[in-house]
Amino acid sequence: MKRLFDRVLDGSSEMMVRAERSIDEVEAKYGLDAPVLLPETAYNCAVNLAYKGTKISTVADLRNALDVIEGMIKKRQNTTAIFNAGIATAMSAELIEACKYVGTATPYEGTPYHGHFSDAEVRELGVPLVTGDIPGFVVIIDEAPSDEEAVELIKGYQSRGIFVFLIGKIIDQALRMGVNMGFPVRVVAVGQDIWSVSHIVSFCDRAAMIFGAIEPGDWDGFQEYTFVRLRAFVNAFKPVRDMTVACGGGAIALGFPVITNDTEDMWKVPKSLIIQENTKDFIETSLEARDIKIKVTNIDIPIAYSSAFEGEIVRKKDMQVDFDTSRVDGFELVRSCAINEVEDHKITVVGPDIDEVEPGSVMNLGVLVEVYGKNFQSDFEPVIERKFHEFINKAEGIMHTGQRDIIRVRINKSAFDAGFRMKHYGEILYAKVKNEYEKVVDKCQVTIFTDPEQCKELRAAANVKYDERDARLANLTDESVDQFYTCILCQAFSPSHVCIVTPERLGLCGAVSWLDAKATNELDPTGPCQIVTKEKMIDERTGAYEDVNEAVREYSHGALEQVTLYSILEDPMTSCGCFECICGIEPMTSGFAIVNREHTGMTPLGMTFSEMASMTGGGIQTPGYMGHGKHFIASKKFLKAEGGVARLVWMPTALKDVVRKKLDKTAMELYGIENFTDMIADETVMNDPGDPAELMEYLASVGHPVLEMEPLL
Amino acid sequence: MSWELLISPEEVDKANQELLQTAEKVGADTWQQRVANQTPHCGFGESGTCCRICSMGPCRISKKAPRGICGCDIHGIVARNYLRFTAGGSATHSDHGRSIAHTLYNASPDGNYKVTDSEKLLRIAKEWGIETENKDIYDVAHEVALVGLNEYGKPFGNLLFTQRAPKARQAIWESQDILPRAIDREVSQAMHMTHMGCSSDPEALVRQPLRAGLSDGWGGSMMGTEFSDILFGTPRPIDTEANIGVLEEDMVNIIVHGHDPSLSEMIVFYANDPEMIAYAKEQGAKGINIAGVCCTSNEVAMRHGIPMAGNFLAQENVVLTGACEAIVVDVQCIFPALGPLSKCFHTKFITTSPIARIPDSDFIEFKEETAAENAKAIVKMAIENFKNRKPELVHIPKQKSKATVGYSVEAIKKCLDGVTNSHVDELGTMKPLVDAVKSGVIRGAVAMVGCNNPKVRQDVYHIELMKKLLENDILVVVTGCSAQAAAKVGLMDKEAAKYCGEGLKRVCRLVGIPPVLHMGSCVDISRMMVLASDIAKDWGIEISEIPLVGCAPEWMSEKAVSIGNYVVATGIDTFLGVDPYTKGSEQVKGFLQSGLKRWVGANFIVNQDLDMLSTMMIEHIEEKREALGI
Repeated sequence: MKRLFDRVLDGSSEMMVRAERSIDEVEAKYGLDAPVLLPETAYNCAVNLAYKGTKISTVADLRNALDVIEGMIKKRQNTTAIFNAGIATAMSAELIEACKYVGTATPYEGTPYHGHFSDAEVRELGVPLVTGDIPGFVVIIDEAPSDEEAVELIKGYQSRGIFVFLIGKIIDQALRMGVNMGFPVRVVAVGQDIWSVSHIVSFCDRAAMIFGAIEPGDWDGFQEYTFVRLRAFVNAFKPVRDMTVACGGGAIALGFPVITNDTEDMWKVPKSLIIQENTKDFIETSLEARDIKIKVTNIDIPIAYSSAFEGEIVRKKDMQVDFDTSRVDGFELVRSCAINEVEDHKITVVGPDIDEVEPGSVMNLGVLVEVYGKNFQSDFEPVIERKFHEFINKAEGIMHTGQRDIIRVRINKSAFDAGFRMKHYGEILYAKVKNEYEKVVDKCQVTIFTDPEQCKELRAAANVKYDERDARLANLTDESVDQFYTCILCQAFSPSHVCIVTPERLGLCGAVSWLDAKATNELDPTGPCQIVTKEKMIDERTGAYEDVNEAVREYSHGALEQVTLYSILEDPMTSCGCFECICGIEPMTSGFAIVNREHTGMTPLGMTFSEMASMTGGGIQTPGYMGHGKHFIASKKFLKAEGGVARLVWMPTALKDVVRKKLDKTAMELYGIENFTDMIADETVMNDPGDPAELMEYLASVGHPVLEMEPLL
Repeated sequence: MSWELLISPEEVDKANQELLQTAEKVGADTWQQRVANQTPHCGFGESGTCCRICSMGPCRISKKAPRGICGCDIHGIVARNYLRFTAGGSATHSDHGRSIAHTLYNASPDGNYKVTDSEKLLRIAKEWGIETENKDIYDVAHEVALVGLNEYGKPFGNLLFTQRAPKARQAIWESQDILPRAIDREVSQAMHMTHMGCSSDPEALVRQPLRAGLSDGWGGSMMGTEFSDILFGTPRPIDTEANIGVLEEDMVNIIVHGHDPSLSEMIVFYANDPEMIAYAKEQGAKGINIAGVCCTSNEVAMRHGIPMAGNFLAQENVVLTGACEAIVVDVQCIFPALGPLSKCFHTKFITTSPIARIPDSDFIEFKEETAAENAKAIVKMAIENFKNRKPELVHIPKQKSKATVGYSVEAIKKCLDGVTNSHVDELGTMKPLVDAVKSGVIRGAVAMVGCNNPKVRQDVYHIELMKKLLENDILVVVTGCSAQAAAKVGLMDKEAAKYCGEGLKRVCRLVGIPPVLHMGSCVDISRMMVLASDIAKDWGIEISEIPLVGCAPEWMSEKAVSIGNYVVATGIDTFLGVDPYTKGSEQVKGFLQSGLKRWVGANFIVNQDLDMLSTMMIEHIEEKREALGI
């Protein structure tokens, strides 16, 4: 039997030789000075950057990186050598892949392969990872015993919420079987060759840098982060070649177990390299190997239910029925009731069910969830209501957008064919509300209205309720409450970050408002959201409180001394890395530019979202840069210490559209300026979005208030 | 990578120096001084060439006088001395086992000693063919104890525990004529063979130590271990602290020292008695602090988490702190020096066993039937002594380390179960460890055992060897004073795994163990024999093929030689850092250091050089791997 370590060492050398060949080719074609740039990342060639601090920007750098790799492969029979060789394999693989991006930013265009992941994609997964919506990642390599089994495996993982990366022949199997793949449905066809695995390692290393603030070159730091915080594992189908074994060595170094059905020259290593000849047991074997426990909510519905289906889109051609409140009446409402008004688990459908209408019909949809709980507070109503989107979206074949009375729900044909009806819609809501809010919801009943008349009537009634809530929310300011909350939900990934959530400043991920935090605190008094008093104010202007500093010190475990709530220049709040937006100082105008995660273009700061985002995150305090939620922008507290929203000089149009209404209102109230959002520059008003002079010109042309303000620095 | 978490030898020296200053202040004699007085040692004695077995001598062999008066040559004399040395150790360990067997025999539901691990009791009853169905557990206990006691003197047959070894090993013992018979018989025969006018053939005299050793390791010691587990519980991982700093300045410090857990268990029990604690407070102390020295320390640490004050050569240190109210001893490895030393302080030196009667001590004979009152009286005596402390003499060096101890074979299997996968693996085996070794993640294992010996800088050989082995992904299992050496500096702190090679580091992390596994006291080397046997069985190879070696770098007692004999006879090469008084004979040396290989597949390797020892052990393990094709 060939020894395991010999297989890793041979495979590692082989990968390095291939990397050298790839570099030779690009050098011959483009020359040594040609730029090497993986798109939309601030961490170019993250694997080489992470482990050895190697910075790559040209083909010549690739060649130098190869020297570093060669030095890492030592033909010794010990695990230290093997871990080094394993990681060196991933680094070599990254060089091969990087070569593909020389001369083009889209080498995989026209192929089914995803290739490189953007920083935004890494950041997007921050929240689902901490909430456990994505309990782990699997990398499936090569061909399953049959196409059917390939699908079964992929869907099996998907239905458990596991993010699936595919490499090699299993992709062909998935394609043949028509598996819906893509980042939003959490099944990604990464690449055809084993070296495309480097994109996944890069993904993990960037998670460590973004959320964990691990510095490039901190070998132990990366190993510790991936081992402890990233629940990843590998399924490798036979025949497993030496190069794959070498990659496996890297995976195990990172803490990711490998499960294979190959027995030829294969060696068992407890909890690390597991031989499972029965491929039907791959999933359960793998989950146990990586200590992943799947949270199961039993919902009595005929379709699959998993976070993996959250990003699924139902297109018109697949649609059985469309609920669209822009065309007909509808609403969603949670209402707290007296104990005798609610009958637990009563699900009622009022009006025609979906099998009583023609396929493709547009229908009314009113959803009324009535709850009773001894500890229920009316403030929890909108918190629960806002979760409907997620609750419904997780069902396979159902798409949900919007909230309140602006909703759109589509049910596709296969869900319908599987027997999904509106009572199941009610079942989902019932099960999730009871399960996630068990501490405050004792009884819950759901009524689904599809009857147009009832929907019209109840929509009006719901709007009264929405207005009441909005009035309460409008009154809900930082001054009007007695306490703020911490949110340390992200500490599983970003161990030294603490969010302070106030009524006017929601969590930077956009997912935790003050009311959410309050509810979380009630649901789990020792959980991530702890009460922060606000009795010891230090400075009203910057929003500095001794109480807040104490909380930050305690919950960051001493990593952070103090933060302000309303300043970006003086002790700004830190971030974990999964922020919706990043705001950064633009020195020429003394203003600030904000860019949201979805925007991939350049900003006037000469940096993209990814590059700006890399300035902060991982609990690091960087004055001048701050991650935040979209809805903080229109707050009067936003940049308050620096003069408020009048400092905003640039935002992408898409973001402007989201915040426009409220932002205009704030500017009107603060400065008496009308249509302030229009004064903010965006990518459409500048020829070169990275040119500050052009920005200045635009601001002057619209008479932007920042020009009258004191310089920042 | 450096081991900065550990307490360094320099720090240890500094603490020792501080204590020696106290010794000087009170005019106490210390072992350091006595070593100086005794150096140089007698050359004939050291090389094993002095015979005083009969009164015609003593005969000392030299060029001028190559034979003794009876005509015995140098090889016969060295070999006879060696066999007697072994017999002394075998007798000592086995007598300890016998005493525990008696305790088990006397166990009763309302007596001082009870059955704690009835599962183990039933397992052994089954192993020995004792009917257990519908029987009271105490009746089973008495029967098992009786069969055990019978092992000491049974007229026919071989020792029952030897059947635990893999079949292939049993066959070797049989074919080499070293399969032990009754325990006492092997010791008696050793004495008989070495009597004037009996054996002088070195081969025969080197063969019998193997059998006498086996009667200890697979007989008396194993009984000591197993019956202690039945009575006091099979050890499970438990956190404790180690080193001299575990003594508490404001508490009544009672040190338990020796080997037999029957005494220490009772002392621990009564030290936790609320009535006693209240009494201690009445006497001005904050409470009662029990700490251990030597193997007693291992026994109570692994069952109750009692802190470990130190190992063999630290026994005087505990008194030198000036904060020791009582040092309570039973048997073995107790310096008579503690008598006069304790007189320099307020310390009560309490002897309890008729086997170890020492001048200048208070003798309170500890009997099974009166154990409770004996223990109570001892604890009370210590409490009442608190007020006699001389504050000006109190100095407790601040050194202590965290340790997780208590890795019995059962506990190790339990830990290994934690890294199995229920979809492919079975529980309760050594297979995860075997797989880790086969794949190369762990290169092999070393069983480090044995004492301290002033011929070697205290603990340094133990610790430096362990560090080197751990860096090379070699798992280290330990017992006795070697275990305490490791615990004292911090090698049993799970955190210490970070200094190991990547393979071992990962294994420690996944399994949740410290890099050095505490398997117990010196009788518990029998656990290591079971461990090796189980590994061989689960692997499907012979014990001598396993990449495993034994090592006693600082050994000093006869028990250690007996241990060495049974470890080698079990098929495990054993490295010694101190010569067993055999260098006078090339023939005896030849047998021990190479000839035994032909008999039992393993031999001794003696080397005083620290670097050589570690290099040779690593090479040895790699050679075994090579031979297995792994």
